[in-house]
Amino acid sequence: MEPIRKDEIDAQECGSVTPKSKPCPRPKPGEAAGGCSFDGAQITLLPIMDAAHLVHGPIACAGNSWESRGTLTSGPSLSQYGFATDMNDTDIIFGGEKKLRDSINYIAERFAPPAIFVYATCVTALIGEDMDAVCKEAAERLAIPVIPVNSPGFVGSKNLGNRLAGEALLQYVIGTGEPEREISLGVNLIGEYNIAGEMWDIEKLMNSAGITLMSRITGDARYKEITWAHRAKVNMVVCSRALLGLAKEMESRYKIPYFEGSFYGAKETTYSLRQMAFLMNDREMERRVDRLTEREESRLIQDLRPYRKLLKGKKAVLYTGGVKSWSIISALKELGVQVVGVGTNKSTEDDVRRIADRVGDDTEYIPEGGASRIIKTVRERKADIMIAGGRNMYVAMKEQIPFIDINQERHKAYAGYEGLLRLAKELTYSLANPIWKLAASPAPWDKEDSYDH
Amino acid sequence: MSKDNLDIKDNNNLFKEERYVQQRENKKQFEAPCSEQETAEALAYSKSAEYMEKNFDRKSVVINPHKACQPLGSVMAALGFEKTLPFVHGSQGCNAYFRSHLSRHFKEPTPSVSSSMTEDAAVFGGMTNMIDGLENSIALYKPEMVAVCTTCMAEVIGDDLNSFIGNARIKGAIAEDFPVAFCNTPSFVGSHITGYDAMLKGILSYLYTRSGIQATPGSGEGTGEKLNVMLGFEPYTGNFAEMRKILNAFDTEYTILGDHSGNYDSPATGEYEYYYGGTKLEDVPLAANALGTLSLQKYTLKKTQEYISGTWKQEISALSTPLGIKGTDKLLETISEMTGLPIPASLTEERGRVVDALMDSHPYLHGKRVALVGDPDLLIGLIGLCLEIGMEPVHIVCSNGEVDFNDQKFKIEAEALLASSPYGSEATVHIGKDLWHMRSLLLTDPVDLAIGSSHLKFAAKDADVPLIRVGFPIFDRHHMHRYPIIGYQGTLNLLSLIVNTVLQQLDDNNSGFNFELVR
Ligand code: SF4
Repeated sequence: MEPIRKDEIDAQECGSVTPKSKPCPRPKPGEAAGGCSFDGAQITLLPIMDAAHLVHGPIACAGNSWESRGTLTSGPSLSQYGFATDMNDTDIIFGGEKKLRDSINYIAERFAPPAIFVYATCVTALIGEDMDAVCKEAAERLAIPVIPVNSPGFVGSKNLGNRLAGEALLQYVIGTGEPEREISLGVNLIGEYNIAGEMWDIEKLMNSAGITLMSRITGDARYKEITWAHRAKVNMVVCSRALLGLAKEMESRYKIPYFEGSFYGAKETTYSLRQMAFLMNDREMERRVDRLTEREESRLIQDLRPYRKLLKGKKAVLYTGGVKSWSIISALKELGVQVVGVGTNKSTEDDVRRIADRVGDDTEYIPEGGASRIIKTVRERKADIMIAGGRNMYVAMKEQIPFIDINQERHKAYAGYEGLLRLAKELTYSLANPIWKLAASPAPWDKEDSYDH
Repeated sequence: MSKDNLDIKDNNNLFKEERYVQQRENKKQFEAPCSEQETAEALAYSKSAEYMEKNFDRKSVVINPHKACQPLGSVMAALGFEKTLPFVHGSQGCNAYFRSHLSRHFKEPTPSVSSSMTEDAAVFGGMTNMIDGLENSIALYKPEMVAVCTTCMAEVIGDDLNSFIGNARIKGAIAEDFPVAFCNTPSFVGSHITGYDAMLKGILSYLYTRSGIQATPGSGEGTGEKLNVMLGFEPYTGNFAEMRKILNAFDTEYTILGDHSGNYDSPATGEYEYYYGGTKLEDVPLAANALGTLSLQKYTLKKTQEYISGTWKQEISALSTPLGIKGTDKLLETISEMTGLPIPASLTEERGRVVDALMDSHPYLHGKRVALVGDPDLLIGLIGLCLEIGMEPVHIVCSNGEVDFNDQKFKIEAEALLASSPYGSEATVHIGKDLWHMRSLLLTDPVDLAIGSSHLKFAAKDADVPLIRVGFPIFDRHHMHRYPIIGYQGTLNLLSLIVNTVLQQLDDNNSGFNFELVR
């Protein structure tokens, strides 16, 4: 069992804008690691749905990744297009800047997007393409923002990429626009990507409490709304350590207070809404939030009753790569599900601390990847269900372990009060499906004794 | 679950609710939306010949690519060998993409590791990463062979795989005799099929050379004298089973070189292993003694074919994906020629049944205009099938049609095949083009059916054409890859898929009087 790291919080963390050292945990060579920084940066910015996202590099990064995220849009879909410069060997020898310039021109002319994000990849970074200069020149000529995102894969993990994307927003987007009309008491949501439509549920809740959602950074966002994010009254960082730096910087630049919260589980949801009202320093709003959360919570308790009965005492192993482990743990606890193992592979020390606050002492920490390691925990701890990302799903199936997908490929929205209900339903369905019994019993002719149905 | 009294809606229905509709309306203020008229004009423009010309003039940017990179193919090739761990030398992200890409298609886990190179490696080279990576991965995943390929990053900094692996041995990170096959797979040239080829050749030549065996083709030592069979970059596990069925019907001995169907179609036994099935490592050098090698993807397997005919001095019969009646006929004749065995009666009978099925369905398919997207060998097979039943291929897009560099052989063959039939007279073959080009083609010159991978669904939807999912990747449908599409049986499977799509469309679009019971 891995000891919990108890050392002091380093102020210059993975989430900070200017890290002293290399604080984001790195994968070991020879392991089946997760995504790269390029991937992380893309995840953060792709939900800006009306912008064009152009990948500057060979076909690898774009050819393998376009249109494979579950972040939903309520309108424009330009972000779903896979744009790539598809550099070939001659481009690599002679440079791809001309190709990049032409690509930007073509996109601007044909698709007239409000902005174009241009992503560096390993190769373009290595051969020293001056992306910043090309983007700057194009932006001036075309009179639209063309934003370089300097987060090539090799600089590190997905988390680091999230952070670098945040920096690009700070440097090129936030503060460049003004809302057309006065928006009072607005909150920015940072690090919520509208996977399976979760943002929409959150927005609905905020609206019922009279809180205006100002800028979505970036779930189902429009480019323009991010330009005036600096006018918000409060920033909420939604279970994403990596974008904390963005919030911190906005606090120092624009005096916007921020807090970290989550919408997984009723308790966390209530806390987050309260925190918004509190930081806005509006008594009336606080009262409205109280009324809303009380109503929602008591209704939820009713609605959850049948599920809780079935879920109580069930054991789960949670492996999400760390970033949102702690908030999912809260949600599971409310459903009566005990977390007996949790992945800390990509967690920062702060994450681990939060996990430790929420789980019991004998929860196992799974520090490194590898399917067998997770499976081992499931077996040893006699867990009933595995909650993890899509890449581990098929391993769970092989082992006949009930599974639900919690990462960005999921198709169900679990945020907010209704989300918790959906989570309860998914868990029950997954656990109760008759297929597990069928799968666990051998073919009748392989059975030693006869059995009755 | 009768207790379930809650109506929890799925995304499709949930977001149709009034409050969400309201939310979306509100958001329009940020969009600077176009007026309906502008939208209509833009759509009309995208259907114009003028835009198509512009679109096809596009040189710099690729929009919606239909190819993946070389190392993705290498990972698939490595998984075709027993207890072999694919090892991607480069930064970590690529490998994560390959794993999810392949897993999403096959709905199975993909064991594959990366050397996780970082900035330090970019400056000093990736040797340390390679050495540590080999040591760690062998300890963690206990393979019997590691198959190393490169990403573009390792290629750009010019890492020397051979010497790195050698150094890993010298340093004791891996045992002296532990097999590590390798190949170079820069993603800035070629595509997934080139990478498959590179790795297959890498593994064959590595295992052969290391065994010290001298190839004596036709001696059959250890292989019963017969055939080697290569299926290539094969997204259908069912095709392996079909190929076995055919070879077994011939009653010939054979070795499949590169068989990932075990890894990608393993049973749920309650215990996950990293490795299932695959070609046995010791069978590879013995395969050098076979009579000849049958390749089912001649464009994909170019280098491997050259290697086998060059070094193993074997007769090579290289076909494209054998589907359709004629394609399968050619396959059977080839096997018969290579082995000297007669074509089994059971297959002749099967042929008759499938011909019968094609006749039953032909009235619904005759004259249907079809758009095709895929890898070169698959396209040759599909074009053949279309022409056989009177469907008219109209637009054919092959993103990786210049199999390597500027080789146009595929295009020439495809055009000759089309020219051989009046049903092919309208067709145009576009190589090196992407799915945005295809969208233009679908909008300016509409067709009845589109055939291609899941990636084509966006263009097909814009053009309102039903998509029949064939090829790689298929992310949004289940179990397609479990059914063979080659051989007579595969032809029947494809036929049912196509004709039933057409029939479903008739039902869906009926205007009342043609909602018929019998078709
Ligand atoms: S690691 Fe580099 S080359 Fe690979 S996907 Fe990420 S950015 Fe692209």
